[in-house]
Amino acid sequence: MAEDREVMREVWDGRLPVCFRLSVEEVNTVQQPDPFYLMVPRLTYFPLVTDKVQRHFSRHISEPDQGAEMWLDYDGQPIKWHYPVGLLFDLYGLGSQLPWNLTVHFKNFPEEELVHCPSRAAIESHFMATIKEADFLKHRGMVISAMQKKDHNQLWLGLQNDKFDQFWAINRKLMEHTNDELFKYIPYRLYQPDMPYIQRLVRPLSEKGENTTLLDLLHVSLPKFSKEDILDNVQIVAHGIKPPMDTPLQWMSEHLSYPDNFLHLCIHQT
Amino acid sequence: METSNKVTMSSYRKHILAQLQERKKEESAAFQDLISFCNHLFEGVDILRAQNVQLTVQKERLQQENLDVQARESGTGKSNEKTMTLEKKVYQLQEELTELHRRKGEHTQQLIDLRNMLEEKEKELSSKISRLQDTEAALSALRLACKNLEQTIIEQESANQILKDEYEALQLAFSSLEQKHQKLEKDHSDLITRWMAHKAKDADRLNAENERVVRVKQAQLQKELEEAAKEPVVVKGDYLKSAPVCIAASVPNKMLFKFDAHDGEVNAVKWSPSGKTVVTGGGDRKLKLWDIGQKEAVLKGTLTGSNAAVMSVDFETEETLVVGASNDFASRVWTVDDLRLRHTLTGHSGKVLAAKFLGEFSKVVSGSHDRTLKIWDLRSRSCIRTIFAGSSCNDLVTSDGSGTNIISGHFDKRIRFWDTRSESSANEILLQGKITSLDLSPDGFYLLSCVRDDTLKLLDLRMNQVIRTFCADGFKVGCDWTRAKFSPDGQYITVGSQDGVLFIWNCSSARVEKTLKEHNTIITACSWNPSGQYIISVDKNKKAIVWTDI
Repeated sequence: MAEDREVMREVWDGRLPVCFRLSVEEVNTVQQPDPFYLMVPRLTYFPLVTDKVQRHFSRHISEPDQGAEMWLDYDGQPIKWHYPVGLLFDLYGLGSQLPWNLTVHFKNFPEEELVHCPSRAAIESHFMATIKEADFLKHRGMVISAMQKKDHNQLWLGLQNDKFDQFWAINRKLMEHTNDELFKYIPYRLYQPDMPYIQRLVRPLSEKGENTTLLDLLHVSLPKFSKEDILDNVQIVAHGIKPPMDTPLQWMSEHLSYPDNFLHLCIHQT
Repeated sequence: METSNKVTMSSYRKHILAQLQERKKEESAAFQDLISFCNHLFEGVDILRAQNVQLTVQKERLQQENLDVQARESGTGKSNEKTMTLEKKVYQLQEELTELHRRKGEHTQQLIDLRNMLEEKEKELSSKISRLQDTEAALSALRLACKNLEQTIIEQESANQILKDEYEALQLAFSSLEQKHQKLEKDHSDLITRWMAHKAKDADRLNAENERVVRVKQAQLQKELEEAAKEPVVVKGDYLKSAPVCIAASVPNKMLFKFDAHDGEVNAVKWSPSGKTVVTGGGDRKLKLWDIGQKEAVLKGTLTGSNAAVMSVDFETEETLVVGASNDFASRVWTVDDLRLRHTLTGHSGKVLAAKFLGEFSKVVSGSHDRTLKIWDLRSRSCIRTIFAGSSCNDLVTSDGSGTNIISGHFDKRIRFWDTRSESSANEILLQGKITSLDLSPDGFYLLSCVRDDTLKLLDLRMNQVIRTFCADGFKVGCDWTRAKFSPDGQYITVGSQDGVLFIWNCSSARVEKTLKEHNTIITACSWNPSGQYIISVDKNKKAIVWTDI
């Protein structure tokens, strides 16, 4: 597992330089506010790290908006807080110049596109719900329901406080396949810009007993394309890298999943 | 399976790892330092800002101090040393000042405390003063009550004294009676033994004597009758004319006339048996004889000699003598014809309220406030009998022609009946108030008494019971000697009230027959003319009024 740990560590340590700027229309002071720079872990969610940002900009906005909920957009695209940061960057910001420039808003919350985030408890419940969904796909929910409340807490705190060991001590149980029995299905989501994500039931082993690969997954998920088309036209991005098409799904799921135990894959057609 | 895939696995793994490391180099490593430096700068800026603000404040303060110092320096001094010493002094003074301030604060606190205490004390004082005043008021009220009570006690004591005197007198009467009684008892037993011895002898002798007497009497009577039959009968005409006979009394309804009888109060009035003359007795110590005509009263004579007010008058049946009872403790007898004082009957030790001729003209009975009745013999001019009545006598009547029965009305609410032949009271009746007057009905069966509880009581002498009570709204007995009288036919009774109204009741129905208002003050006495057609009433203020229905 030592090698695996190396990969996992690399994945965990992935950070993005982000530059926050206050929306020009909302500046309420004579002096233009300085942009705020932050190294954001790819695996976390924005509301967990933007407290400082909010405090920094709250001095420069008009009085009635002081208590309003902050939201972000990139290039006019509102940023969903319930997607991990890395996924958002892969989906919208790939190829743009670093650091990633995000605009901060306090006014005009886009009710139709974003969900409100009332508190950290809302993020936690969303996170735990996703983990449970993933475990149902992998182990029919056996592992997660055998866990205690404090284990759930440890998972959440590990993510929230960026503690790799604390997180993986519990997450390992979710990723283990006992007695050579592989996951029942691979929990994954396939994202394209401006489209709902795709999610299908994909087993880690084919009917012939061979390991299914990323290519098989795409073939099942995108029935329009033949395997050749996929190899020619489709690029998959996860964690800012392009994994090879022959990567086995079982391994991918174990190593490249986000903390919510899902593989979040972005499709970029060439 | 693992081993078979080992190679491939390592190839994709290596590929992925390489990409991840590349990514790290690209995304993080390039910016890590930059951003952390940037954050450092941000923090540095914040800290410097805060420091700047602090320094600005400090600078301001220092400038202010500097200004102060300069101002001081320019004002006072040239030499630094002087300034130093002065500053030292100032410092000392400042210290002293703070010390003084502190003390002042303490003193102020003490002052406040003391003032609070003072206020409390003053409050206490005022509450005590108000309590004192209350107590004084209560004390004075109690003193007043005490005085009142003392007065009541004095009154009660005086009343008590009177009662005690009465009691002592009774005791005296009782002891004398007791002695007499014992003596009599002895005599009685003596007599009985002697009497028993003589009884048989006497009886025989008496029988013989009786027979003889009867025979002699018969013979004498026969002889007298024969003599009388021989004498011619002469009847005095004027006597018949003058003796009025009352068939039925009429109730007067108007005043005939009024006149001033005496100076001051008039206490007693009495019509003569013939109905021609009226005698009045007054507070001016005189008795006056009046001829009553149809228009006016003519003064026939004035009987003087009394030394105090005359309380009662009485005619002798033959109209030759008048007796008057006076407050000078004496009764006097005058002759009507020559208006001369014949007898002065002294011996009472109190006011004499009533004096009446007793049957035959030679005796007078008087009742006095010394709680005795006395019987006087005019021939021997002496008191022949003293009856200890036990209470002040207000009025008395003699109940039969022979003059053996006397009825007296008393201060102690009792009517007492006396027989002159026996020593003790024959009977007594208790009423509800002091008895002021008594009057006998013409037939002698009924006794009218005026009682101080503002009623008149009619007693049947045969039963010794009150059979009727007369009272009316507005009728009040004016004084202790208010006299009530029967009409000559016994059908009406009349009496004067305190407010000057003369009341006439029907005797049998007890209804008020008439009220006559002419007097202005208390009516003391009244009297019916024997003919039953006139009433004369007198009051306490000189006046006498004659009433009639004609």
